[in-house]
Amino acid sequence: MKVSLKWLQTYFDVPLPSVEAIADAYTFHAFEIDEIKGDMLDVKVLPNRAADCLSHRGLARELSAILDFPLKFDPLHEPHQGLPLVAKGSPWCGLSVEIEDAKKCLRYMGAVVKGVRVGPSPEWLREALESVGQRSINNVVDATNYVMLNIGQPLHAFDAGKLKEKDGKYAILIRGAKESEKFTTLSNEEFVLKQGALLITDANTDSAIGIAGIKGGKEAEVTASTTDLIVESANFDGTSVRHTAQVLRLSTDASQRFQNRPSPELCAYGMHDVLALITNIAGGEVIGMVDEYPSHPEQNKSVSVSLEKINSVLGSNFLEAEVENAFKRLALPYIVVNDIFTVMPPFERTDLTISEDLVEEVGRIIGYDRIPATELPPLSGVPDQARYRGIERIKDQLVEQGFTEISTQSFANQGDIGLANPLDKKRPFLRTDLLSGMSQAAVNAQCLSARVLGPLQTVKIFEAGTVFGKDKERLSIVKSQWPVEQKAGTAVVITPQEMEFSEEELEQWGSSYIPKRYELSAYKPFSIYPFIVRDIAFWVPTGTDEGFTKSLIQEHAGELLVRLDQFDRFEKEGRVSLAFRLVFQSMERTLTDEEANSIMEKISAALRAAGYEVR
Amino acid sequence: MNQPGRLHPISIAIRDIAAIFGRMGFGVAFGPELEDDWHNFTALNVPEDHPARDMQDTFWIKGEPGKVLRTHTSPVQIRYMEEQMKKGIKPPYRIIVPGKVFRNEATDSTHEAQFFQLEGLAIGEDISFANLKGTFTQFFKEYFGPSIKTRFRPSFFPFTEPSMEVDVWFEKEQKWLELGGAGMVHPKVLENAGVDPKKYQGFAFGPGLERIVMIKYGIPDARLFHSGDIRFNYAFEQTSVPPKQVTD
Repeated sequence: MKVSLKWLQTYFDVPLPSVEAIADAYTFHAFEIDEIKGDMLDVKVLPNRAADCLSHRGLARELSAILDFPLKFDPLHEPHQGLPLVAKGSPWCGLSVEIEDAKKCLRYMGAVVKGVRVGPSPEWLREALESVGQRSINNVVDATNYVMLNIGQPLHAFDAGKLKEKDGKYAILIRGAKESEKFTTLSNEEFVLKQGALLITDANTDSAIGIAGIKGGKEAEVTASTTDLIVESANFDGTSVRHTAQVLRLSTDASQRFQNRPSPELCAYGMHDVLALITNIAGGEVIGMVDEYPSHPEQNKSVSVSLEKINSVLGSNFLEAEVENAFKRLALPYIVVNDIFTVMPPFERTDLTISEDLVEEVGRIIGYDRIPATELPPLSGVPDQARYRGIERIKDQLVEQGFTEISTQSFANQGDIGLANPLDKKRPFLRTDLLSGMSQAAVNAQCLSARVLGPLQTVKIFEAGTVFGKDKERLSIVKSQWPVEQKAGTAVVITPQEMEFSEEELEQWGSSYIPKRYELSAYKPFSIYPFIVRDIAFWVPTGTDEGFTKSLIQEHAGELLVRLDQFDRFEKEGRVSLAFRLVFQSMERTLTDEEANSIMEKISAALRAAGYEVR
Repeated sequence: MNQPGRLHPISIAIRDIAAIFGRMGFGVAFGPELEDDWHNFTALNVPEDHPARDMQDTFWIKGEPGKVLRTHTSPVQIRYMEEQMKKGIKPPYRIIVPGKVFRNEATDSTHEAQFFQLEGLAIGEDISFANLKGTFTQFFKEYFGPSIKTRFRPSFFPFTEPSMEVDVWFEKEQKWLELGGAGMVHPKVLENAGVDPKKYQGFAFGPGLERIVMIKYGIPDARLFHSGDIRFNYAFEQTSVPPKQVTD
């Protein structure tokens, strides 16, 4: 939810602190901040508070509680002035509303406004919308968007002139879509709807003018020539809206609000504010209004929590006065009797239903930093880590035998269990074994062996991971090693060996085992470029400082030498033959053979100059 | 003669972590990676068609509408408590669950579609939010070093109430990094697992394991972990901790 400092300020007489200070206030007491840009804050409102805090009003209320600044006014708790509520079916109201399924449309308020002049919005309105990343369209549409962003109620204005009047009346029917009914949105997207998707329709022509709670249609778009409006302030069932929005892949400001089930009580506040704003900036007269509200929801139930429970759950020592102060700041009506607080959540706070919800309100408003960090009480007995240690024991044995542990992806190009929505279309299955991941890793490891492991090392790898059979998943541990007699250019056959263990065996194995521990240095980035291997062998007189020969090579090889291993040594007739393997690699580029050759020549020259015979 | 091989850095981390939590009385538990809807969502107070389901992009199983790849290790909370209650073992419970989880999200240097989570659960008669703060503080001190700074801020998860997010101060980058979510286990979750929420309470947490390891060692890319590339194992200087210093 994007909010602007200027907009929030309209709720306070006290000047608000800087954007950064407000961001901190939200971060430590309410919500994470996704982004700060100028005087705009993008507040990450999570599902539990989406019913009331996807609005400047809701976020101003939060800020008021956190900073303990009084709210100048609260649009949801001010008496309504002169809303022209017209009884259903009254002959002169000019509109009838019918709801086909009261479970999907909890409330529908419609108002007829005649004689508006559609045009550009006043400067303050354009600025307000643009300050939170919205585009100004015209005064009527902007008014509906402004009120939604201000108090959270999605609203819509239809061009009444594009609907049919019958017997001096417009007729709105909220019904499910027919099979394959077509719909074109305001932004010209065309959809073929599934049967049952909830639509707003002109009952006199049976044509759809809006997808309920998601988006309005082209058919009744408000344009420069519009003079008469039907203004909608409604409440649609969250599940139904969410479902249709998902099927159509059409997530809008309205659908995001409805899927979080704001209170249908909010409709009246939205209607009041939007009619006041439209008539103020676009003129016109409210001719009549219908409020179809089939079943009023139950009032929010009161929620109780004792001071003792608050302190027991939080591990705090808060005083009654501190708790009271938190509820006061949140403007939650409460009574306290014998250390038990009973809170009557206002209609918009649909999230407060159990005592733990109140514990959280108290904890976060006072501040999590005010809760001590306390060690857990000691526990008798030894914690059960046997199975885990059993697995680690097997890994330790494999490592000792020279195997290196790898981890590969659980997705595969074939298998028994497929994904309904794979991320990688080439690997839409769950692996049935570790073999294919392992073969690939072994081939790669073999290519890297000289660089990573050094000379004369057989590539040995293993993996312990879950594999998925038709009926059951299980832990598989597989080791494989590169065949010793593998000749260059022939097809490689790696025969990984799977080791099977039952849970009982693992537990038994681990019951008294302590896994080995290692310390690692900071991560050292490796080059993604190919490396070049060169060998050099030379004779030195017996008694030569062999370490010196190694330094000599290092010194003349320069910084492209990334690995130097001695891999052979033998003595013959008073001389010693030494053989080294050199690996060259750059962090920035692919080396050429010529570069390696020229370095090798330098090294040979240096060895010769020292009196050694290069073989 | 071959030199010894190397463990994967995740295994090395899990050993460090299991040892730290072992000293605080935590066992290590396991659960399936292919989960049912009940354990992954509904039992954790994430009802069907609830927007909270959008908080975790889910892999669904073809032809089996009730099955998912677990999106978090939290279902093991339910499975563990169910099992204990079936055996007639009542709380206190203390477990950690280091395990692989799956999210259907585009991958980049900080996100992988599969990664490890470090679940924790402590249930008793008087386990509090203060104990959660204390446990995290102790863990981070032992794992990252005594000078580590932590902070806690409010958040929302359907399965915890109150909920929090924990950040650690990353000296090298001079900024706070989000490590993961935690909170007091929601009474409905206890109830769904057969534990009496009037008598017992406790906390749960679930930071991402790779993230912890990335912060500790300065690893730049989450995709290195499950690439099967042995260069990753060898991208560290490794020293053995002498057995006599290994106290679990």
